[in-house]
Amino acid sequence: MQRSGIEAIHAEARPLPVGDGAAIMILAIYIMFVISVQKFDLAGVIAFGAFPLLLTTASGIALLPIMKRLVIASPFILFMAAGNLALDRSTAVMIAGFAITGGMISASVIVLKTVVTLAALLSLMAVMPFHRFGMALRSLRVPEVFVTQLLLVYRYSFLLSEEATAMQKARDLRSFGGHGKGPLVTAKLIASLLIRTTARAERIYMAMSARGFRTALDSRPAIAMKPGDLAAIAGAAALFGLIRYFF
Amino acid sequence: MHMSDALLSPVVGGAFWAISTGMIGWSARKIPVETDGSKTVLMGVMGAFVFAAQMINFTIPGTGSSGHIGGGLLLAVLLGPWRAFITLASVLVIQALFFADGGLLALGCNIFNMAFIPAFIAWPFIYRPIAGGEGSATRLATASIAASTLGLLAGAFSVVIQTTLSGISDLPFNVFVLFMLPIHAVIGIVEGVLTWGVLSFIASTEPGLLRTASETRAPKTGFVTAMLFVAALAIGGALSWFASSNPDGLEWSIAKVTGKEELASPAGTAHEFLSGLQNKLAILPDYDFRRTENLTAEEAAEPSPVHPGASLSGIAGSVMVLLIAGSVGLLLRNRRESTITATRS
Repeated sequence: MQRSGIEAIHAEARPLPVGDGAAIMILAIYIMFVISVQKFDLAGVIAFGAFPLLLTTASGIALLPIMKRLVIASPFILFMAAGNLALDRSTAVMIAGFAITGGMISASVIVLKTVVTLAALLSLMAVMPFHRFGMALRSLRVPEVFVTQLLLVYRYSFLLSEEATAMQKARDLRSFGGHGKGPLVTAKLIASLLIRTTARAERIYMAMSARGFRTALDSRPAIAMKPGDLAAIAGAAALFGLIRYFF
Repeated sequence: MHMSDALLSPVVGGAFWAISTGMIGWSARKIPVETDGSKTVLMGVMGAFVFAAQMINFTIPGTGSSGHIGGGLLLAVLLGPWRAFITLASVLVIQALFFADGGLLALGCNIFNMAFIPAFIAWPFIYRPIAGGEGSATRLATASIAASTLGLLAGAFSVVIQTTLSGISDLPFNVFVLFMLPIHAVIGIVEGVLTWGVLSFIASTEPGLLRTASETRAPKTGFVTAMLFVAALAIGGALSWFASSNPDGLEWSIAKVTGKEELASPAGTAHEFLSGLQNKLAILPDYDFRRTENLTAEEAAEPSPVHPGASLSGIAGSVMVLLIAGSVGLLLRNRRESTITATRS
């Protein structure tokens, strides 16, 4: 499920109108602005939906995988929103004889904030391949150890996921009436996977060493941000500020 | 237990971002510089292992439901605190980016709750003292279950504090605590049993794998206390700054000069003209929900906390912004596709 999730989100890599580092910064600023929208400000959060909508329509990203991912990610948020719905029953407004409570508005704001922030994040990741994301992190001065770590985890998660799926399938085929699916048997299965993983790590390291790997996957210097990128970040922040001010 | 962007205020989210990124930088410095890089590869592959291990489900006895391992404590035991923290943080980043677990701003909180706590609190202060160097099976089981349970409880409590401080949710602190802690105590025990099962299998088949962490120097108590103190100070300081009931600098200055916190608009001046012009040009002037005429005495006594901005025509305006953004996006896409077609032909 994890592997197909990554593949489903990753669409076609596309060049962005700004540098990848600037795109990540703009996304972070956008999320800060969305999160700053007040608890009952429904109009404000709807207006901020414009950014992910622009991203998805302009780049032609398939919306279905992103929507599926949003639905899967939401149980905790829905629980918290339901809490507001149940606890705040004070009437905020009456529309055609129907009372809209404060809880209804604040719950909607929580759900919509989740939808717009995660949609913006997933849209950006759909058009930015992970190696470009790593390069962008380098340009933002993230420590090399962490960038290499992220790239390695991403690369090998595909490989190990296949192995884990095969192991689970083999266990399930041999299990009758749920026998052998308890925590202690599963722990042995996970431990076997762990031993295979460390053996694989040694083989991978030897292969990578033969290709000149020392401690970092990419020895090229980080790409510095261009003045145009800084202007784009400032422009985006100003635009988000205007949306925040008017709505 | 992933914290979400929508439940955080910018102050709380930003403070935990600062703490977590600081810890990533600090941990990266603490990992000794190696010439062979084999540990770098091991960390990367172990991060991928956590993803893979989470795909193997087990049946929770007596419930009929299933679960999977979290892997926080397991990584701390196998890699030591600094490497485990970096590895867990990288797993959380990928979960946020591709699986929408939490969100970008919530990453700071999630790294603190699910990487800092198991690596820097549960492993050095609970697991290691109980398990000892070459611990017996009983000590290993006790250490795994105690460290997993207490670590998860601390993480869940941290979620409650972060949510309550952010003030987005209406759930009272005590109700939220009573909801979160018992569930996470049960999850912690199951996670502990699973971790113990994995570790005891490793101890009997590949005991060398357990040496990495035992050879690592544990973080000192003072260091962890200092980090928690910095976290408390950052959040407390930032919150009190934002929540101050005193007038801000501008209001204070105006009050000192004029005796009032706000200046009245000058009448009969350019300001009045511009205000009138603004009202005429505004597409949706004076937007507000229709005020209810027949409020009961109780409702009238309790004014709604809803911000005036949350108005019907305000929402209509924001939907218009959405439509414009969508149309601009489609235009850009058509232009891009026609450019690509022209280039190919």
